Amino acid sequence: MDVAAVQSQLIERINSGVLVVDQNCCLLYFNRFMESHSLLQASEVIGKNLFDIFPDAPQRWLQRKIQSVFMLNTPAFSSWEQRQFVFKMRHARPVTTSSEYMAQNITFIPICSDGQSEPDKVGIIVEDMTDVFFYQQKLKDTLKELEEVSRTDGLTKVSNRRYWEERFRIEFETAQRHEHDLSLIMFDLDKFKRINDEYGHQAGDLVLVKATELVQQILRKGDLLGRYGGEEFGIILPNTADKGAYELAERIRSQFSLLTMQHDNRSINATMSMGICQFDSRFTRFEDMVTRADLALYQSKREGRNQVTIYQA
Amino acid sequence: MNDITLTEDQRDCLQELINVAMGQASDKLARYLQTFVHLQVPYIELIDSTVLPERFAETYAEEGVSLVSQGFYGEKGILGESLLIYKSHDAHGIAEILGYEPDDVSEVEQLTDISSILTTTFLNGLAEQIDNQLAYSAPRVVSSMETPLEQHLQQLSFNWDLALKVDISYQVVDFSFNCDMVLLIPGEAIKNIQKVLDQILDEF
Repeated sequence: MDVAAVQSQLIERINSGVLVVDQNCCLLYFNRFMESHSLLQASEVIGKNLFDIFPDAPQRWLQRKIQSVFMLNTPAFSSWEQRQFVFKMRHARPVTTSSEYMAQNITFIPICSDGQSEPDKVGIIVEDMTDVFFYQQKLKDTLKELEEVSRTDGLTKVSNRRYWEERFRIEFETAQRHEHDLSLIMFDLDKFKRINDEYGHQAGDLVLVKATELVQQILRKGDLLGRYGGEEFGIILPNTADKGAYELAERIRSQFSLLTMQHDNRSINATMSMGICQFDSRFTRFEDMVTRADLALYQSKREGRNQVTIYQA
Repeated sequence: MNDITLTEDQRDCLQELINVAMGQASDKLARYLQTFVHLQVPYIELIDSTVLPERFAETYAEEGVSLVSQGFYGEKGILGESLLIYKSHDAHGIAEILGYEPDDVSEVEQLTDISSILTTTFLNGLAEQIDNQLAYSAPRVVSSMETPLEQHLQQLSFNWDLALKVDISYQVVDFSFNCDMVLLIPGEAIKNIQKVLDQILDEF
C-alpha cells in the first residue's frame, strides 16, 4: 500500500476541516471539507493570509494561539462551548438544525519539517460540532419545560402545592428578615361537591379552571396563586398588609360570583369563601399563616359562604 | 493494586526528570508570556483514590476554585490527567497576554487556554526526558466558581485505587497569577512509569 497516497486522500476527504499555515499565517493547505463549507477554492486561498480569507475570525486571539503552538511546540485547542466558531462557515445540516453557522471544536497541531525539532507549520483541524450544539440547545429547552411542568398543576396550570409552598417559604423568610408585609389568601369553592354531583366532574373541572383564570387576571406581578389541594387554593401576596389583601380578595370574590360559566348548554354559577392572614413576627413558620388563613376561611363558610374574613388573633 | 510502592531511587529519578522538564517549561513559558514564570519544587506521592476528595477539600476549602482537566496519553502505557486549580480570580490578569479583546469576557475560555499552555508545555518536556510522545485531549472546565469543587469531587467515581500524584505550583508574578497543577497517573500506568524509570536507572 502506498501509505502517503492513502493518507493524502484521507485528509482531503475526511469529514473535518484541515488547514495548514506557516509562521506568517499564510495558508499552505486547505482540504475539501474547508472548500465546500467556506465556499472557497483551495487554488484561490493557498498562499494567502488566513485573516484575509476569514476576516471575521478573532485575529488577536487566534494569532496568539497559533504563536503558542510555534513557540511552545505544543497543541492548542478551542471548544464550541466557549467559542461557538472561529471560522465562520455554513454547516451540513441547514435543514434540520436551527443554528446558522457551524459550531466547531478546533485542534492546532505543531508540524516539524523532516529532521527538525521545532515546528515550522501549524495544522488546524476543524470538527463540525453542530449536532452536539443543536442537541445541547434542545436538552436545555427540554429541561426548562420539565422544570415548568414539575411546578405546575396539570388541570389549572397554576403552581402546584410543592412549588407554591417552596416559594411561600422563601417569601416568609424574606418577610421575617426584612420585616416586610406579607399576606396570604386561602380560598375554597363553595359547595363544590354539589357542582360535581349536579353537573358532572367535567363541569367541576371547568369551574376550577375558570376560577383560577379569573384570579390570575386580577393578581398583580409578584403575587402567586397555587392549588393547595382539591378545590382549595392559596395566594401569596408579598409586600401586602391584610387591608390590601382584603380589597383584592373582595374583588375576586364579587367578580367570580357574577361569572356565569357554560357547560353542556347549562349555565353554572358558583361562589368562593376566603380567609386572610397577614404576617406577624411571632410566627415561626409559613405553615402558621396557612393554619390561620384556613381558620378565617372556615369562619367565612360558617357565616354563610361567599364572603371574605380576616384572621383576628 | 495497593502493593505498588515507589523505591527511593525511582522517586529521586522522577524528581530529577521533573526538575529538568520544569526548567525547560519555565524557560519556554517566559518567552511566550514575556514574563517570568516561577515553578515551585514539586511534591510527589502515591495517593489512594478514597482520600483524594478529602485532600482537595482540605487544600482548597476556603476559596471558590475553578478546576480544569486535561487528559494525556502516550506510548508504553503512559497516561493520566492533569488538573489545574485556580483560586478565585487569580486568572484575571492573563486575558491580555492571551490576546483577548476587552469585550471578550469568557473567563472559562481564558482558563482552558492558559491551562492547556501550562500542561502541555511541561508534559512535553517531561515526555522528552523519557523518550516518549504525548497526545492531549482538549481541556475542560470541571468545576467553576458556581459549582463547588468539593461537591464535584464527591460525585466523581474513581475507577482506580492508587495514583501517582505530582503537585507543582505556578506563579506569574507580573500578573499576580497563581495556579496549582496536579498530575494524576492512575493504576496500571504507575507500573508503566516505574518500568521507564528503572530503565533510565539501569542506563546510568
